Amino acid sequence: MNTIRDYLENMFLGLPKTNDVESAKEELRGMMEDKYQELKENGKSENEAIGIVISEFGNLDELADALGIKEVMGQKTEFPLVSYERAMNYIEDSRATSPKTALGVSLCILSPVVLLTLLGLYESKIISVREDLLIAIGIFFVISLVAIAISLFIKDSGRLDAYKDLCTDSFRLDYKTEQMVSKIHKQEEPIYKSTVSISVMLYIFSGLPIIVTPLIIENGGIHILAVVVTLIIIALTTYNIISKGGAIEACRVLLQMEEYTIENKSNTTYKTVSKVYWSVVVAAYLGYSFITNDWSKSWIIWPVAGTLFAAVKAIMVR
Amino acid sequence: MISSDVIRGYNDTMILYLLLKEPSYGYEISKQIRSLTDEKYIIKETTLYSAFKRMENNGMIEAFAGTQTNGKPRTYYRITDEGRKYYKEKCEEWAITQEVVEKFIVKENDDYEHY
Repeated sequence: MNTIRDYLENMFLGLPKTNDVESAKEELRGMMEDKYQELKENGKSENEAIGIVISEFGNLDELADALGIKEVMGQKTEFPLVSYERAMNYIEDSRATSPKTALGVSLCILSPVVLLTLLGLYESKIISVREDLLIAIGIFFVISLVAIAISLFIKDSGRLDAYKDLCTDSFRLDYKTEQMVSKIHKQEEPIYKSTVSISVMLYIFSGLPIIVTPLIIENGGIHILAVVVTLIIIALTTYNIISKGGAIEACRVLLQMEEYTIENKSNTTYKTVSKVYWSVVVAAYLGYSFITNDWSKSWIIWPVAGTLFAAVKAIMVR
Repeated sequence: MISSDVIRGYNDTMILYLLLKEPSYGYEISKQIRSLTDEKYIIKETTLYSAFKRMENNGMIEAFAGTQTNGKPRTYYRITDEGRKYYKEKCEEWAITQEVVEKFIVKENDDYEHY
């Protein structure tokens, strides 16, 4: 029975895991197992039965039309094989680097915190120093934290750069590697899912200080400090979600799931659009904030841009 | 054993014939084709599955989930009115095909040298 399963898995190796493909595999397996069972009942040995079943299986190319994967079928064998060692190294390196990436992202989110705190204290008349001096100190912190974050990104990017092709090019895994990666993915998934659901809750709650404070206190300075609290919650939540997501993200890349499917990889418009999109968002955020000094409001671009991107992605990927 | 190239155009006809009587599932159909043809034609699993999908897309058969006596879940197929119509057309087509090709076939007791 396992031989039949392995045979089918190998035949379907490198094909996109669409619903059509999966149900074809399921039904073919059913037919093969029925036949195997009956041959065994008619007194054939295990080896004979498997031999007959496999010789009468046919040719997978015949299914290309039925499954809508004609193009993939043509190039199937051209995909390079990713070795077991490389796949495992990738998962481990992702696991190791994700806390540092998470720290970098959190520092970026936290970068305006000192500036906002000083402005908040100034507005609420708790400290009385010249405003332009406070802004200078605040911006110094913005730039320093972003610089530290960038140095963190650069330091670690080298380690994951070696695996860049996995995210952008199509490849295939042998049966053993795919099984192992699926196993790791399955182990990580429940932990990651609960992290995501806690994070979503925290993201929603993070808005509370901004919404509630103006209702209770009229002091404008305190409103700015409320933004600081919100940013800190967002930064901690983001740290948590990114640092725990390294291994599972690597598994998704290796299993060519979700945004990493073979179809999406060949979708160059999507890649270009997302690159341009985020560059524009970063430029808009920095440009607007530095020109207007409105750091207490400009951060709103991130949740808006993130949500909007999900919509863009849904349209592009389908 | 018959080559699958020769018979390709009539796989659908055979499957529809078997579904005329009652709904059935993959292995059952392949088994019936084998025994009805005295093992002269054994349909490949991939051929059968792609025929199912093609006919399902063309509305000639419908798939539904069913369980066999031993409790194993299977995809069953039943023929539609569209399928019955197509089957009838294929039967008529075969009658003519047979008639035409027959004209060019040397009979067993004839003498090849004669032609």
